[in-house]
This record gives sequence, C-alpha cells and structure tokens, in this order.
Amino acid sequence: MQASPLAHHFESLEKQAHAARLGMWLFLATEVLLFTALFAAYGVYRFLYPEGFAQSSRSIETWIGFVNTLVLVTSSFTVAMGLDAAVKGNGRRTALLFAASVGLALVFLGFKAIEYAHHFQEGQLPGRYYTFEGVQAPGASLYFSLYFLITGLHAIHVIIGMSALAIVGALAWRGRFTGEYHIPVELAGLYWHLVDLVWIFVFPLIYLI
Amino acid sequence: MAEQEPIARAEQELEHHAHAGRYALVWIALLVLTVTTYLAARAPLPGGWHVAVALVIATAKGSLVVLFFMHLWDQRGANRLVFATSLVFVALLVGLTLLDNATRFPLANPPGSAGALPAGGANREPAPEAPR
Repeated sequence: MQASPLAHHFESLEKQAHAARLGMWLFLATEVLLFTALFAAYGVYRFLYPEGFAQSSRSIETWIGFVNTLVLVTSSFTVAMGLDAAVKGNGRRTALLFAASVGLALVFLGFKAIEYAHHFQEGQLPGRYYTFEGVQAPGASLYFSLYFLITGLHAIHVIIGMSALAIVGALAWRGRFTGEYHIPVELAGLYWHLVDLVWIFVFPLIYLI
Repeated sequence: MAEQEPIARAEQELEHHAHAGRYALVWIALLVLTVTTYLAARAPLPGGWHVAVALVIATAKGSLVVLFFMHLWDQRGANRLVFATSLVFVALLVGLTLLDNATRFPLANPPGSAGALPAGGANREPAPEAPR
C-alpha cells in the first residue's frame, strides 16, 4: 500500500470503498453457494435416511456445538465493535478487539479439536471407517461424511478468517487506517461475519435436529 | 451528479455513525436466540416441527448478522442485490434437489433409505446390502 490509500484509477476514496465492498459481496456470494452445495447434500441424505441422521445427530455432544455458537457469535460482535473503533479512527482499539476475536476463534477450534478427537476414538468416521457401535442405522456413516465435510470446510474458513483478522489487526495497531480509510478492516470483518453466518446454520442442522 | 451528492453524503454519514449500541443489541439478541433454539430442540414437539423451528430461528439469527453486523441494512442496492441473488440460487439448489428426491419412483431411491422398497420386497432378487 502506498502513502495514499487512494488508487489512481478511482475518483475518490468513497468510490474505491464502494467498489471494494461490492467485490467482497460478490466473493461472499460464491462462498454462500459453496456451503449451500454441502447443505443440499445434507438435505438429500437426511430426506433419504431420516432415522440414521436423527440418531447420529443425537449421538454427538450438543453442548460443544452450543458453546461454540455462543463463542462465534461473540467473536462476530467484537469484530463489529472493532470496525466501530476503526470508523472513529481508533486503530489501537480495533487491534485489541480483533485480537479478542482471534482468541475466541482459537477457543472455537479448541472445542472442535476435542470433538474430532472424540469422534476418532468412537469410530464415528465416514464411509468404511465407521465403526461406532451406538448407531447402526443406514445413513449413519453418510451423516458423518457430511459432518466432517461441512465442519471441516467451516474450520478452514475459521483459520483463514482469523489470519485475515490478525493481519488487519496488526496493521490497525501500527496506525495504517484512519476514520476515512479503513476498508480492509471492514472487509476482514465481512469475511468473519460470513463464517459466523455459516455456523449459525451448521449448528441446528448438525447438532439439534 | 449534482443530485447524487447529498444522497452520497447522507449515506456516508450514516455509515460513519457510531453503531456500538446497535451491535450490542444484536449480540444480545443472537445469544438469546441461540439459547432459545437449544431449548426448543429439547422441548417435546410434534414430528417435523423441530426442523421447522430450528430453521426459522437460524434464519432470524442469520438475518440479524447480515443486516446489522454486515451492514446490508444501510448499504447500497448493488450489495443487497448480490446477496439476494445468492439467496435465490440457494433456494433453487436446495429446493429443486429436495423436490427431485421427494418425487422419485421408489426403486430409484438407494436401498435402506426412507423412500425405497424394503429389501427383498421387490419381485426379483433382494436388494444388495445397504451402505451403512
């Protein structure tokens, strides 16, 4: 980034911000459809194997998903507050709030790791690796295939999102952004909110119903 | 151009307005809805209602995140259009795929699934072992 954040092909900072925002939303739309493909697969197999899916869903620890939902929602809130601080030109505050979000993301991944370790011990694994005694209904291993695909892809997004937050937070700490120019703060925040949005649908589908 | 100027300024002021209070309210609402959906999943409800209730609550939470955390509430039409278009495709993808499966000839469903004929119920050889 040069001394002036305004690229020469833009008339004003405001237009540049609008272009950046629109580009981010186009990207987020493709992300939504990426996850929708998995949700559609989940819908089809849940429709075909209602009993296997219901039993499998009951066999995993609901409280971990519940706590992780609270954690992610809260991290989204701290990201939003970080943007609020950036709008007011307070880069240090933005950096601290983004650091809190990254910390919450680590808590989320920690619970996920505990959960995955448990599934590996129990044999709640996809395909022919499925050896879980508790649920033997047809479709149970399909549930866990989709479980690992959906939560795994989401976890990758969490890692990408927390990296983006860490980088933007570090830049904010060094005073790279101002009240007028803070579009990277906003875009990193948008990505993080999308990660939260996807989890909001993952939680009931995987854990609750 | 001259007409757009005051609109753009008003929008910018709106964007630069402090949103802290609104964020806090949305956050509390999201926490409350999370607890609600958790309790609703435990409540005794007639069959099928759990899915409906969970999805309605998830949609409400998602709307709060998209409208207020992601600022679609006070942003330009283009961003809203992009997101709304993606939702149309979500509906098409999920809706048509489920419709396809819901209206299939029973033999087209994989063995062991809800819509399929029971194994051996077909008039010829029994169905192969269901994939677990």
